[in-house]
Amino acid sequence: MPMVKGDVCTEDVGTCGDDCSSRCASAHPGAQAACVLNSNIPVCRCYFDCGPSVPPPYSKTCKLSLGIWGERCSEEDCNSQCAAKYPGPQQGMGYCYSVGAPVYTSCFCEYKKNLFPLSSFTVIHSAMDLESNYEIAPTAEFIQSNKFTRVALQFPDELLKDAVRVVSALRDKLRTLRESNAEQNDDAPEVGLFVMADTAYGSCCVDEVGASHVDADAVVHYGHTCLSPTTTLPAFFVFGKTPISVPDCVKNLSHYALPNGRRVLVLFGLDYAHSIQNIREKFAEVCGAESKPEVQYANVICSVMNPSKGRKISNEVQGTSGSLTDNNSFGTVSANTYSIGGLVWKLPEGHKMDDYLLFWIGSNNSAFANIVLTYNGCEIVRYDASECSMVTDLSQQRKILKRRYYLMEKAKDANIVGILVGTLGVAGYLNMIHQMKVLITGAGKKVYTLVMGRPNPAKLANFPECDIFIYVSCAQTALLDSKEYLAPVITPFEAMLAFNRGCQWTGEYVMEFRDLINSSPVESRNFSEEARFSFLQGGYVEDFDPQGRNGTEEDKEGALALANATEKVLQLRDNPNSIVKGTAKSGAEFLATRSYQGLDIHYDGSLPEPYFIGRSGRAAGYEDEKIGHEKS
Amino acid sequence: MVKFTAEELRRIMDYKHNIRNMSVIAHVDHGKSTLTDSLVAAAGIIAQEVAGDVRMTDTRADEAERGITIKSTGISLYYEMTDAALKSYTGERNGNEYLINLIDSPGHVDFSSEVTAALRITDGALVVVDCIEGVCVQTETVLRQALGERIRPVLTVNKMDRCFLELQVDGEEAYQTFQRVIENANVIMATYEDPLLGDVQVYPEKGTVAFSAGLHGWAFTLTNFAKMYASKFGVDESKMMERLWGENYFDPATKKWTSKNTGSATCKRGFVQFCYEPIKQIINTCMNDQKDKLWPMLTKLGVTMKSDEKDLMGKALMKRVMQTWLPASSALLEMMIFHLPSPSTAQRYRVENLYEGPLDDQYANAIRNCDPEGPLMLYVSKMIPASDKGRFFAFGRVFAGKVQTGLKVRIMGPNYVPGEKKDLYVKNVQRTVIWMGKKQETVEDVPCGNTVALVGLDQFITKNATLTNEKEVDAHPIRAMKFSVSPVVRVAVQCKVASDLPKLVEGLKRLAKSDPMVVCSIEESGEHIIAGAGELHLEICLKDLQDDFMGGAEIIKSDPVVSFRETVLEKSSRTVMSKSPNKHNRLYMEARPLEEGLPEAIDDGRIGPRDDPKIRSKILAEEFGWDKDLAKKIWCFGPETTGPNMVVDMCKGVQYLNEIKDSVVAGFQWASKEGALAEENMRGICFEVCDVVLHADAIHRGGGQVIPTARRVIYASQITAKPRLLEPVYLVEIQAPEQALGGIYSVLNQKRGHVFEEIQRPGTPLYNIKAYLPVIESFGFSGQLRASTSGQAFPQCVFDHWEMMSSDPLEVGSQAAQLVTDIRKRKGLKEQMTPLSEFEDKL
Repeated sequence: MPMVKGDVCTEDVGTCGDDCSSRCASAHPGAQAACVLNSNIPVCRCYFDCGPSVPPPYSKTCKLSLGIWGERCSEEDCNSQCAAKYPGPQQGMGYCYSVGAPVYTSCFCEYKKNLFPLSSFTVIHSAMDLESNYEIAPTAEFIQSNKFTRVALQFPDELLKDAVRVVSALRDKLRTLRESNAEQNDDAPEVGLFVMADTAYGSCCVDEVGASHVDADAVVHYGHTCLSPTTTLPAFFVFGKTPISVPDCVKNLSHYALPNGRRVLVLFGLDYAHSIQNIREKFAEVCGAESKPEVQYANVICSVMNPSKGRKISNEVQGTSGSLTDNNSFGTVSANTYSIGGLVWKLPEGHKMDDYLLFWIGSNNSAFANIVLTYNGCEIVRYDASECSMVTDLSQQRKILKRRYYLMEKAKDANIVGILVGTLGVAGYLNMIHQMKVLITGAGKKVYTLVMGRPNPAKLANFPECDIFIYVSCAQTALLDSKEYLAPVITPFEAMLAFNRGCQWTGEYVMEFRDLINSSPVESRNFSEEARFSFLQGGYVEDFDPQGRNGTEEDKEGALALANATEKVLQLRDNPNSIVKGTAKSGAEFLATRSYQGLDIHYDGSLPEPYFIGRSGRAAGYEDEKIGHEKS
Repeated sequence: MVKFTAEELRRIMDYKHNIRNMSVIAHVDHGKSTLTDSLVAAAGIIAQEVAGDVRMTDTRADEAERGITIKSTGISLYYEMTDAALKSYTGERNGNEYLINLIDSPGHVDFSSEVTAALRITDGALVVVDCIEGVCVQTETVLRQALGERIRPVLTVNKMDRCFLELQVDGEEAYQTFQRVIENANVIMATYEDPLLGDVQVYPEKGTVAFSAGLHGWAFTLTNFAKMYASKFGVDESKMMERLWGENYFDPATKKWTSKNTGSATCKRGFVQFCYEPIKQIINTCMNDQKDKLWPMLTKLGVTMKSDEKDLMGKALMKRVMQTWLPASSALLEMMIFHLPSPSTAQRYRVENLYEGPLDDQYANAIRNCDPEGPLMLYVSKMIPASDKGRFFAFGRVFAGKVQTGLKVRIMGPNYVPGEKKDLYVKNVQRTVIWMGKKQETVEDVPCGNTVALVGLDQFITKNATLTNEKEVDAHPIRAMKFSVSPVVRVAVQCKVASDLPKLVEGLKRLAKSDPMVVCSIEESGEHIIAGAGELHLEICLKDLQDDFMGGAEIIKSDPVVSFRETVLEKSSRTVMSKSPNKHNRLYMEARPLEEGLPEAIDDGRIGPRDDPKIRSKILAEEFGWDKDLAKKIWCFGPETTGPNMVVDMCKGVQYLNEIKDSVVAGFQWASKEGALAEENMRGICFEVCDVVLHADAIHRGGGQVIPTARRVIYASQITAKPRLLEPVYLVEIQAPEQALGGIYSVLNQKRGHVFEEIQRPGTPLYNIKAYLPVIESFGFSGQLRASTSGQAFPQCVFDHWEMMSSDPLEVGSQAAQLVTDIRKRKGLKEQMTPLSEFEDKL
């Protein structure tokens, strides 16, 4: 029986002997043999690539309630709805389930779940796959042509296991390249390759700080990325290539695009970028020449980022976005060009985003969540390539939007705000932090800036005085479901809506804070006289004087703050149970209301004792004692 | 033809002895609005002929359509009394002109918050009781509320016309019915008696009970008849009054008064002989069109009819004759002026109930003396939508000082704490307005003792507020109103078009303002929630929201949602432990249910965080059997620091314990707000901290380590203590005839309700049924009840208590488990409850 450890399997084939390697080769073609000691008996062991052991797909049975149907639940409806929700191999089956009174009847859905959806990079069997998946050749080309000498390779945690193989492959490639170029330039030094892992912030961003520790002059980023622009270092992105069934995808796409002539926009996860061209051609074939469905495709914005020279667009995956000029590279600013999460597309003149049905190819990750939030007015469907199925029920994603709305309302009631620095790389983060500070102080609230790497509940709970946190980070790590956190965590965009008086949310949503910097928040300020209405408390709450406090008053307040705080402490000592979250106006005030104030300094108010001169001399006989001895 | 002008009204406002602020309160459908009409008619705002049909104070279209009052409506009326009428009035007065600030209130229990708001700004109440139906549930509720606010009541036995026309009961029987009605009312009033208010019971022989027929616009008190007969018999008026009620019999044959029925056929009770019979006679003559008999009778009574009125026939004639003979307005007005207190009298004893601050400061004194020269004290009790969309009048009562146009006032909201800046605004009053029937009149200023509407403050007042002069920075606010109903029924609303969201937000803001009870909030899941007292209340709120406050933008409402509470049944099966994220700290805890009655005591505020620990431990030890020392070890209450759950320290000799107290409290506040079952509030759980192991370095036992751990260990102890759901339960009171009982029982059974009291109303075929009904089952209850009793039963539901659901939410497939799943689903949580292993750690 083979043993599985990682994706290298081992199997013992009898005791060690001369024919060990041939025995292995016959059992597992391509295997390597070695003699090892197993409880002091030399055995012949074969090592071979086997990949992770894959249980049959759709082996797990899941159950899900489709909600209370009341007395309306009929087996037929329930079953058909369930089948629609979990089609194909998922074998959705519904049944009505009633408990007690008829009102509690609900429809339950049983379906099979694929526990092991395929993801990019997982199935790497041979050197060939490794080469193409990790784009060894283009990477080497990139390094060579730019004459980089120290290059950091940034791996996310799940790809770290391949790091060694990638480095050795890349080193080989670079060597061959250098040899071929040797006649032109023989003093080219060996390129230093460094593997970076366990990034301090999200692994989707380029870790420029980490790279500068090794003094690298470029970064190669592997795996899922948010394609946020870098500040100092040029970066090369390797997205990976997830297998996809192109015919099935095209079939599903045509199902949406063909019948009613809807405008469809195809968006995709970056790891599917490699097969978009293929899908495009296949789809054109399916449609034929006569019908011209309006299908737009997004492009990958770039796979190379060079912050010093504007943005160099040399798209090696698509090569079709040459029409883009540098100045409209990011942001949804320019007329009909849209961009989000590394994708860019242009709509024909006069078309609006809301007219389009978005067809997303890829998994349900943060990139998709961003799309759903940003284009919440559009109809969106998702083609799950790993399960080869369409997902049309996006109520869960829509719920996120509502939840964010709640957090915004909650932020309005906050008195103390913590800004979490969630990136040290994304361009413009300092501007953003500054802008947030101005905004929050302008709204009459207290602000603290905290740098703590990737936030987690325990870290943030060390700041119980903060009523809310703003997480300044790249777009794809910004959405933290803060259910587990003591205080909610919101994005800068949400903060802008919450802390700008008179700002009303109309449904639009901006994730990338670069877009926020462009929109000037000041013009949306139209002060109405009205006090702020808090939906959490169900009444008017005024936390801030809309006329604006004048300077003298503020100074006075500053001077009085200490006195006030002291006074409060004295008042609150009477009732020790008075910490109500969200009542303190500053950290100092919060600490003053704590019941534990630190160790008691027993101070009885008397003056320090005057010093007096003690004994001197040795223990054998102090000087004052000596006199006595002598006398006696 | 309005008989008075704004100038006249304004003039009397200064005579604080000539003002009566009163509200009309009663059970639903006992004829408040109809009776109010006749008072309004007497002031000339509507024609006498239509009085009783117009329902002047039902200003909204839906009020007219449904025939019920929804909002309380205020109206200022001016009357000039004759000298003769005021002859026996002994109190202070300035001339004969009187100002009555009258507020008509709704009778349906769902709107009793409107009644509360009305009572706050009035000093007297006219309690209307249907002479046949008698004292009903809501009569009792509103009476209790009134007496709680120190409002002096007078009673009118209404719908007298039914006695004469519909039921044709004879005199003695009618007397018994009236007597019983008055007795019932007196029982309630005696129960809630207040020493400062004195005897509040009503006595017909003292003139504090009137008999009225609102629909026909006539009414009388015994004073009317006593006056009439006093001159005829030549006896003293007050003596005559006494004889007209109670055990006093008169035999016309012997012309003798006796205190017992002599048994002779002509011997009749004084009331029957002298009041009931004459009215009956007149009515019968009118109805039979015996005009030849009628005119001489009327002349004898001193009633003169106009010539065109003499042509009237039947009912119309009867109505006209009765209105002329016994005009409702004069009887009721006299009763109000004689027996209800003027502001200056009432504020003397009401000040204790009203003012939160020290009762000897200048503000308390100004209120006590109703001093127009004192500092301004004004209470805004409700907001009234103005005709220009989106704006509101702030309607309230001036208790001291004067409010005038352009005055800069300090607005102290419900959360204002003296000395702080929270919930405090300084703004200008743009206009001061008084209500004259359907239209408003602007006046320059309004002195104390009057009701007033203010323009320009609506953007700073949600529901109610106390206003003072800008300079009066040390004034305390007037005590907030206490409502007898609570908003337990909730529905989520969203707009059909996403871009209408700002409209919805604005609309909800306005809705929250327009109703004293409705609560507009937002759920964790981001849904906007409207909470109201009952189904009808919500229905009206939603209609208002869509039509009036959102300009018709379409909204989608969810099915009504009921909030539950999480509690525990037993003590935790074992002490549970959780480790901090760094594994260096361990918290040990147990959960147990609080003693019965303790959560309610916390709700009522008898026990709370602000108590003196000594008093608290005394109550806990004496009433709930706590150990005296333990009672001092309560760390906190929660959620929101005042809720009905607590953390108690049971540790002995633990180092650094006081250092983590704040963190544990923070974790507890968080966890008790979102329980482990379905993230509903917890209720009635006591968490005992059994042991704590902490890291020696302060940095490793900070908030970040302890707060999440405290939360986890609280959840673990909740789960191990047999968690249960509590559901809200209504107290339902139904009044119905015997034949409807079967239908009522079957509907109640179907809805998981159970009857615990069934009493036949003495002297009537009606039954009073009291039952408990889960709120979640109450949707559509009243409709179903109506259908199965062919409209004879009408329920009044009031939230009563939380009841534990017997099924175990941790048992798969149980009803409670299903409920938990559904709640979690609605809230967008993972459908499966988080298992215990996530919260509890092993050593």
